[in-house]
Amino acid sequence: MRRILTIEDDPVTAREIIDELQSNGFAVDWVGTAREGLLRAVGEVYDLITLDRLLPDLDGLAVVKTMREVGVQTPVLMISALSDVDERVRGLRAGGDDYLTKPFAPDEMSARIEVLLRRQSVTPNDTRLRVHDLELDLISRKARRAGAELNLQPTEYKLLEVMMRNSGQVMTRMMLFEAVWDFHFDPGTNVVNMHMSRLRKKVDPSGMPALIRTVRGSGYVLEAPV
Amino acid sequence: MKRLSNPWRSATTRLLAIYGGFFGVWAIVLLSVVYWDTSQYLSDEAERLLGERAEYFASVDPGQLRERLETTYEFDLLHLNAYGLFDSAGKHVAGNIPAIPQGLLPDGHSRVYQERFDGSDRPRNSTRILAIRLHNGFELVLSRDAGLIDRLHALISRAIMWGLSLTIVPGLLGGVLLSIRPRQRIRGLQSASDRIVSGDLRQRLPLSGHDDEVDHLAGIVNRMLDEVERLMFEVKSVCDNIAHDLRTPLTHLRAGLYRLQQQTPAGDERAGPIDRAVIETDDLLARFSALLRVSELKDEHRRAAFGEVDLVDVLQQVHDLYEPLAEEKQLAFKLEIAGPASVVGDRYLLIEAFSNLVGNAIKFTPERGNVVLRLALQPEGPRVDVIDSGIGIEPEQREAIFGRFYRVDRSRITPGFGLGLSIVEAIVRLHGFDVFAADAEQGACLTVRCWSSIQQPRSTADLKVGRSV
Repeated sequence: MRRILTIEDDPVTAREIIDELQSNGFAVDWVGTAREGLLRAVGEVYDLITLDRLLPDLDGLAVVKTMREVGVQTPVLMISALSDVDERVRGLRAGGDDYLTKPFAPDEMSARIEVLLRRQSVTPNDTRLRVHDLELDLISRKARRAGAELNLQPTEYKLLEVMMRNSGQVMTRMMLFEAVWDFHFDPGTNVVNMHMSRLRKKVDPSGMPALIRTVRGSGYVLEAPV
Repeated sequence: MKRLSNPWRSATTRLLAIYGGFFGVWAIVLLSVVYWDTSQYLSDEAERLLGERAEYFASVDPGQLRERLETTYEFDLLHLNAYGLFDSAGKHVAGNIPAIPQGLLPDGHSRVYQERFDGSDRPRNSTRILAIRLHNGFELVLSRDAGLIDRLHALISRAIMWGLSLTIVPGLLGGVLLSIRPRQRIRGLQSASDRIVSGDLRQRLPLSGHDDEVDHLAGIVNRMLDEVERLMFEVKSVCDNIAHDLRTPLTHLRAGLYRLQQQTPAGDERAGPIDRAVIETDDLLARFSALLRVSELKDEHRRAAFGEVDLVDVLQQVHDLYEPLAEEKQLAFKLEIAGPASVVGDRYLLIEAFSNLVGNAIKFTPERGNVVLRLALQPEGPRVDVIDSGIGIEPEQREAIFGRFYRVDRSRITPGFGLGLSIVEAIVRLHGFDVFAADAEQGACLTVRCWSSIQQPRSTADLKVGRSV
């Protein structure tokens, strides 16, 4: 069973996180202080750590920095009430792997955690991504579906690359907006949907089994048809 | 407020002018009284002297008269006096007055003549002169120079002239000089109040520290501003707190709905309502986030992270982002770039601002309409227009649209939040730029002037007050 350490001082938020993670089949350890969290993170083996940015005894940034200094490479999802882009950049620079702003939808958190866990197992040196009969050449920047080349706009290419790198994972609209455009504001739900529907027309022409699937209420997933 | 540029209109100058005028008139009156009194005394004295002499010479024996006259006038070293002795036919007998002045009657009353009669070349002065008839029928004419009175007249006239010029000229100059400092203070007060009117409620009127009337007045205004700022801050923090406090339970609600959604299979009849509830909740959450974002953006410390931003790149990205949305509505979405342009700012915030404007334009334009994102270059700096062929904005609503939650009435049927433009306004203000709704042939035209201008007071409803989180 995959183990997750949750460092969070607010019991209500902690409950939310634990419930969501447990329902997704994780074993969760919860600690309320930075000191205790640091001891656990260094002393035990976890698949992932969720870390509150503002803890009573120590700044979350200091926790992740210390962890990285002593050689702990466990992926860290930082969770914070500070939504500013600068705060986010600071969190990622200190060694966090992703940054989520409070309050958050639990499925948003799960989706991000899944992506972080997967990132560990993917070899980053692939020059070719492949899902079912869809191929993406990262060097020539060309995509093929069942051997036929797809004519993609730069944005569509980026979107497809992100989806393929995280194939099988639910990608929320917010995650896509961050990964493809690197923007961190809310453009309204329709913007990402429209880009996605353009991409789908090209990737999944009628008559072929659909690779991109809408996940109700959350986002999209790209995977081989069952 | 009217500019105080004319030093002559300052209260100090006016006061000094009035006072100077009053003083001048008073000095003239005073010196005139002195002059009049003195000259009166001097002429009385001259008349008395002449009279006494005439009386004396009249009583002298006619045989000794010429000798006495000569002796007396020999001792008149100042040559103030002169005499003339004439026989009964009016012929000159003795003395330095050669002829009887015309019109002079031997009645013993003195008269003043504006000429000399002794034939000397001393400056022409007025002369007091008198004639008497002696017992032997001779006529004796005695004169006394009245130059002393003339000199007194000149002296006092000069004194008045000098006195006036010494009062008026330094008075006026002093007025101008004295009004410099008060006018500087007024200018300081004016610029501070201009900033307050344009929305910076943290500004206070400057105090000079002299504890004078102006300071008292400024102090009163400052206390009022303290209170206004406190109230506005309270209103704002109540708003923010509500947004903050409601966001967490809303998130929990959303989480519950989401779980319900996951447990409901797609074919279930409850799936539709649940999906709609999730979407509605997301919408609500987005509104609260936007509300908090506006507050966050009003914090000005963000300017520290500003850098050079390529405006063309920003607009291209925005165009790219919204192009599919426009296509979906079959809108012609054009990007018009006049040339390269860059500004100092935050790239992400600018993208967010223009995204909001373009998103709005697309939202409010009916199908098959036009949306133009245009970069124009003006001498002052780059200008960005977002023009659409939608319902447009009434001129009287153009200021209000930038307030939180405001929506043009006719657009209430279109889903979306009225917070977009508040975010735009907050971002634009943070950059020191300017956004306003301009006239468009049809539809609306929102213009962002990307240069720092002294902000004209526009919306005082939105405040720049530090947020306490």
